[in-house]
Amino acid sequence: MDGLIQHSETINKLLARYGVKFGIYKNGEFKEQLFPFDPIPRVIGHEEFAYLEKGLKQRVDALNCFLRDIYGKKQILRDGVIPEEFVFSAKGYLPPCDGVTPPKGIYSHISGIDLVQSKNDSWYILEDNLRVPSGASYPMIAREFQRKSAPAAFLHNSVIDNRNYAQMLKSVMDNVNTGGINVILSPGRYNAAFFEHSYLAERTGAVLTTGSDLVCENDNLYYVDYEGRKRRVGAVYRRISDEYLDPMTFYEESVIGIPHVFEAYKKGNVALLNAPGNGVADDKGIYYFVPKMIRYYLGEDAILQNAPTYLPYYEQDMKYTLDNFDKLVIKDVAEAGGYGVVFGSSLTKEQKADFITLLKNEPRRFIAQEVIDFYDLDILDEAGGRVPRKADLRAFVLTGSETQVWPSGLTRFSRNPNSFIVNSSQGGGFKDTWVLSR
Amino acid sequence: MGIITVEKSNNLLWLGRYTERVHTTLKYYIEATDRMIDRDPGYYAIFCEKIGIPDIYGSRETFWTRYPFDTDDPNSIFSNLYRAYDNAIVMRDYIGTETMAYIQLAIDDMKNARRGDTYLADLLLVIDHILAFWGCVNDLIYDEQTRNIIKLGKGIERLDLYLSLDRPATDIRREYTRMKQFLRKSHMHYDDSVLYTIDNMLFEDEVCYNTVRSLIRNLITE
Repeated sequence: MDGLIQHSETINKLLARYGVKFGIYKNGEFKEQLFPFDPIPRVIGHEEFAYLEKGLKQRVDALNCFLRDIYGKKQILRDGVIPEEFVFSAKGYLPPCDGVTPPKGIYSHISGIDLVQSKNDSWYILEDNLRVPSGASYPMIAREFQRKSAPAAFLHNSVIDNRNYAQMLKSVMDNVNTGGINVILSPGRYNAAFFEHSYLAERTGAVLTTGSDLVCENDNLYYVDYEGRKRRVGAVYRRISDEYLDPMTFYEESVIGIPHVFEAYKKGNVALLNAPGNGVADDKGIYYFVPKMIRYYLGEDAILQNAPTYLPYYEQDMKYTLDNFDKLVIKDVAEAGGYGVVFGSSLTKEQKADFITLLKNEPRRFIAQEVIDFYDLDILDEAGGRVPRKADLRAFVLTGSETQVWPSGLTRFSRNPNSFIVNSSQGGGFKDTWVLSR
Repeated sequence: MGIITVEKSNNLLWLGRYTERVHTTLKYYIEATDRMIDRDPGYYAIFCEKIGIPDIYGSRETFWTRYPFDTDDPNSIFSNLYRAYDNAIVMRDYIGTETMAYIQLAIDDMKNARRGDTYLADLLLVIDHILAFWGCVNDLIYDEQTRNIIKLGKGIERLDLYLSLDRPATDIRREYTRMKQFLRKSHMHYDDSVLYTIDNMLFEDEVCYNTVRSLIRNLITE
């Protein structure tokens, strides 16, 4: 480990050399910046990972069952486990997906599950990302450079190699491919995660496209080459949001989508990863019900716990939220990326009064959570000293012929000592996540 | 990889053109700067005229620093390097991360040179990394069409610049012959009659550079 710390600058230089960046818009201007890497890895022991793996697989399997049910028979609603209006009012619920079964019945192929570890060592799920979770490429390429810069660190620690993510992703695409090539659909060069799109295309052998080369004909999707020849597409790992995917079905002004692709998908002629409509399951309001889903679909108790969450939608939870406002964190269910998060204690008297009015007017829009005093991880500060910072873990769970957890993950940390917000768009950095083989 | 679309072929062609533009103009800039030190201080105006950019500099000293480094000037070498980068970044899956890294390194060299006192010497590193990029194109890009389109772009740009810079006819003929090889192997659409005309013109005693240059610019068709 000392070698990694000693060669931190070398690793960061290699990350810069190979263009490991993310894009950010500030004052309407696009800027690419390096994703600050900290060399002290998060280390997860063999047994602890086995526990996480079991819990994550269980959670993602249940979420896939939920999506199949919601866009199918809707039994969970009939049985009153989740209030109907909670599902149908979710922003991510897409009526056009009703009755559509994706290839092999898989909805969430790549799931990014965010966890934190509290100071009593318990892990809590913070949120599920079942639409277009990003970030796996960063620890994958960082591992490559760590091994080059400090090989001894890997000689003396039994760290599971995480550089197989691209192979795992490829096999997930191949599993649902309906016959044809795999493509990665990116919004383009000015998307925050464009590095990841292009790097994963390179590593999986999929074709990277912005959609201008894709065309639907007779309910099939084709990739058109320079000579005008059409090559059938069997799977699209799309990195664009549902609403932009197909202007004929969703947002009609979208210029980055593929007209009629939803029809091809509906007919089973192309797989879309992840399936459109998944947003209903990673809605922050629905998150509250995931332990209930696990019991309902799998007949098991949830292995991994949610952070204690309250739905102001329920009268009792609204009362608790108002009574304990100052010690809770309130989240807007429609926001992501660390936005729409309000710590009750941080508001002035006037702001608090305004916020409570909003909460009472739109109770479905918010959830309230206990603030988990999550574990600090050491990072190196600019002077090279160790300082503790808040950090979370995004675990990647891939569902192909079976559900697998990538033995690594993206550990994001806040660089600000007073902040819980770890998102890269808000100045956070990342670490590698080591999973020990024994 | 093997599937080249219209958009991707365009990116590859311009990647070749911009990297070559950086390479040749940088070499010419270094030669011209030497000339301006004690022999011909006003040569920058001729430089601008030759490569077809407006003379916005007003003095030798301003030219020395603005032409290579000013990213607000669309004709600067750095601006052209960024355009090469813009075309490379969208083609990572075709050219590979390793090859792309040399464009990034050239950008880093350019930034370092801009900061330093020995920028003329430091700019040589940009040329080194552009040459390393070309080495990777030859060595690491296995798909022939991808490789040939980039090299076609390089060939067209070099020919265009050599014609602008009044290089000897032997140089023009040599670069034209090389470019033609890549043109045929690139499978890009081109106007055969243009090629026929240039073929004939280049073997006349007096080659009309301006005509050849405008023909070269119209060679590739969509």
